[in-house]
Amino acid sequence: MEIKYTIQGLLVYMTIAAYLLAFVTTILRRQKVGHIIYLIGFAIAVCSFGYRWYHVRHVPLQNLFEVFLCLGMIYPVSLFCRRALRVGGYAADMLIGAIVLFPAGFVFNAQPQQLPPALQCWLFTPHVAVYMFSYIFMAKATFQAICQLAGRNPKPGENLLGPEESTYRIICIGFPLLTLGLILGSYWGKLAWGDYWGWDPKELWSLVSWLVFLGYFHFRYMFGKKHPRINSLWAITGMAAIIITLLWVNLSRLFPGLHSYAT
Amino acid sequence: MWLALVLIIVLTVLSIYGAFIGAERAQQFFNQPTLAVYWTALAVLLIAGIAAFRRLLRVPGLLLMHAGCVLILVGGMWGSQGGHNIQKKLFGIDKIRSGRMAIYENSSENHVALDGIREQKELPFSLKLNDFRIEYYQPVYLQIETADGNVQQVIAEVGRQIDLGAEHGKAEIVRMFENFKMSIQDGKTTAYEDPSPGLNPALAVRITPPSGEATTHHVFSLHPGFGHTQGGPKMIYDRPAYRAISDYISELEVIDREGNIVAKKDIEVNHPLHYGGYHFYQSSYDDKAGQYTVLQVVSDTGLYVVYAGYWMLCLGVIWHLWLRHIFSRFKAKNT
Repeated sequence: MEIKYTIQGLLVYMTIAAYLLAFVTTILRRQKVGHIIYLIGFAIAVCSFGYRWYHVRHVPLQNLFEVFLCLGMIYPVSLFCRRALRVGGYAADMLIGAIVLFPAGFVFNAQPQQLPPALQCWLFTPHVAVYMFSYIFMAKATFQAICQLAGRNPKPGENLLGPEESTYRIICIGFPLLTLGLILGSYWGKLAWGDYWGWDPKELWSLVSWLVFLGYFHFRYMFGKKHPRINSLWAITGMAAIIITLLWVNLSRLFPGLHSYAT
Repeated sequence: MWLALVLIIVLTVLSIYGAFIGAERAQQFFNQPTLAVYWTALAVLLIAGIAAFRRLLRVPGLLLMHAGCVLILVGGMWGSQGGHNIQKKLFGIDKIRSGRMAIYENSSENHVALDGIREQKELPFSLKLNDFRIEYYQPVYLQIETADGNVQQVIAEVGRQIDLGAEHGKAEIVRMFENFKMSIQDGKTTAYEDPSPGLNPALAVRITPPSGEATTHHVFSLHPGFGHTQGGPKMIYDRPAYRAISDYISELEVIDREGNIVAKKDIEVNHPLHYGGYHFYQSSYDDKAGQYTVLQVVSDTGLYVVYAGYWMLCLGVIWHLWLRHIFSRFKAKNT
């Protein structure tokens, strides 16, 4: 655990503070104030990402610090889910934003790095960005799945979907992104390493994440909403596989592979 | 449907197992004959599913997704080592699946050392390496100060010329060393690149005065001032101790059996050469003296089938989960 006494660090801490304050304010039923603070937090998160971009002179998606910095810009996803999908969990998004920024603020090294030759490809940004988007959606879906398991439903006046239906809708948005990320990565692997599939641990875990959500769709097609708890468990398992893909594979010595530069 | 779900779960479990055993062993594991049975069963089940479930045929998104998966599986199996062996037995197509070739500068090569077995095969054409070079993020500089105090700084690269003025003539960088050493034979000294571990970066600079014989001077990064001569220009080789590599580049020519140059390409990471049914990738290099490059050779058999599958899968998922809902909303709004 390290505290970053830099402008970059300050921006990250300010975002975390804003998100936490927005969360507390929303919980205390000051939704409008909470929304404004959330928006301010998002603006700082964008500045933080932009500052990093300027500092390293390439799209900052190279290592885990930069990836978590990107994940901290959760607000548009949150807004989209509420407005377009009628999915709740707005306050939880603020908390998710603070949680994903925590490793960027206190765990991962922010030392700027130059892009190694393998990462100098037009696929670098779309591949990683698409994955980040899908991960945020899947994190939101998991929160809804947990709500479903806990028996928490939206209040009658809120005009929001129930947690089971919400989980399904968000996974419907996240799954094509997950698919696109997998395929772009595979295409890039062919360009950089000569094989579109190298059986690398990171590749295999990303396939596992994809397969779990594929299983979710098949199971839900077979049984619909008959077994909502099992549906939710599929979604939570998918998120667990995503966390392993994103973190464990890079941080553990158990999985040495081609993606080690992301550490 | 239950069978589909079981096969998905089996593949998930196998993938988790594969992730724990490492890429090399996982590749062997997933390419073994037993797993070939599984891949074939998966492909057959998908085809049978498309034929049996009317919904899969009626809903374009679902059809694209499932047919895409079939193509990925078929293309993958066709392009695997087993697929190459079958093609050799059935159609007499003897293609190299994957291997590596080392090519020295200014020489051509068509032998490929096959991956996994101690065997070499020949390509029906040769590759000539004109030059191999490494590019760095941080440039290195040569600074020259003439006796009259005129200072010039240029990026240090072989062939770079510097005009020192009418009185002093010109200078040219003729060679760059990572680990400079000097040998003496019969009283004659020769500079050479020492391949053994060590760092002694140096430049060989040829100075040609307006009326006189050209002389070669050596400028050292770690020993500034070592090569200075009385009355001659002062030279400094400005080079950071650590330099991050930005690219590896092999300048290649493809030469057919008649000796004609049929293609040219500077290959680098992410920019392979595609010729004659093979992709050639920058894989490794002579890290001691930079005299040769190592290319990875991969057959393109089945690749475009896999890519077609990727397209279909992507289009299918996006159509089925996103676009058809957006279009139906628009339709509902307009009617």
